[in-house]
Amino acid sequence: MKRQLPFRLIVFLLTSFALAQTPGEKQPSVIMAPVGKVQLRAGGSANLALDFRIGPDFHINSNKPRADYLIPTVLKLDPSEPVTIADVKYPAGEDMSFAFSPNERLSVYSGDFSINTMLKAPANAAAGTYPVKGELRFQACDRSACYPPRSIPVQFQVIVVMK
Amino acid sequence: MLKRNAVVFVMLVVAIMGMLAAGKYLDRSRKHGPAKLVGDVHNVPAPNFELPALDGRKVKLSDYRGQAVLLNFWATWCPPCKIEMPWFVDLERQYGKDGLVVLGVAMDDTESSKIAEFAHEMGVNYPVLLGTDQVSDDYGDVRSLPTTFYIDRNGTIVAKAVGLLGRQEIEDDVKKALSAAYRPASQPSRAEAEVKSARAKEATR
Repeated sequence: MKRQLPFRLIVFLLTSFALAQTPGEKQPSVIMAPVGKVQLRAGGSANLALDFRIGPDFHINSNKPRADYLIPTVLKLDPSEPVTIADVKYPAGEDMSFAFSPNERLSVYSGDFSINTMLKAPANAAAGTYPVKGELRFQACDRSACYPPRSIPVQFQVIVVMK
Repeated sequence: MLKRNAVVFVMLVVAIMGMLAAGKYLDRSRKHGPAKLVGDVHNVPAPNFELPALDGRKVKLSDYRGQAVLLNFWATWCPPCKIEMPWFVDLERQYGKDGLVVLGVAMDDTESSKIAEFAHEMGVNYPVLLGTDQVSDDYGDVRSLPTTFYIDRNGTIVAKAVGLLGRQEIEDDVKKALSAAYRPASQPSRAEAEVKSARAKEATR
């Protein structure tokens, strides 16, 4: 117990320091659920749903916002060869109007949402583990303010097995 | 032995953090004076800036000394910001003769032509400046948009609003900014006098 004290003190100090650097306003959070093992047969394809959670009280624009000036949510994936991304399917946004603009409907995601992807590997792909890296770019708002666009990393491993 | 190492480590971490914080503060103070906004900004001198406007000219906040300034940070991707713009247009028409100036600071990371097009569509009649990370930082790390500062004729912040407020609240803050009498530079405000005194002390160290 006593040995843990310095560690706890360090955590406390670091946390305090981090909070002191943060302005008073709350900031939106979007996190991705961990991805389990993704197995793909050489010459085949596999569907993978990437699950995201938006912090309470926030929403982000869907992939197809209703106005040109709004920044869409976009998933960019950069797989390692020979894995390819054959398709990315975004969920439909929820049409919502907000107190700041009751007459305008915005297409947004809030709470949990999933983006479905289809992965492919050619028939001549060598068996092995291949990393897929990328990012989810979004722009969040709450009921009275908006926050600059930002990106979170997306990362998972694809295991290619022989037929 | 282990315990002593842990204590030394903690002291080291605290010392490094202290030095980093002090170094950052002193560096900023030397460059811009102690006008970086932190915490409660009421009655604090508004940090000066020089930013390019959409029409190409350079605009300094200090150019407007003697006038009340509504300084609005916004972006094209911000729906609540859109709601306020027609109100600002009206308020400048209504109170411009009394000395109100509206300055928009666009925080977009996009071409100025797109910002100009958007401002034109919104009927914006006041100068729109192209914001920078520096000005955001100077004004307390402006992240939430809209954020609006109401600055009186003497360059002192009298109100700050984060997020969309009602038109009446905005108008009340405009009146507050207009209410202070202008004191020429020979008669510094209390906040300015404090800043001058702090700078003088720093210089004599």
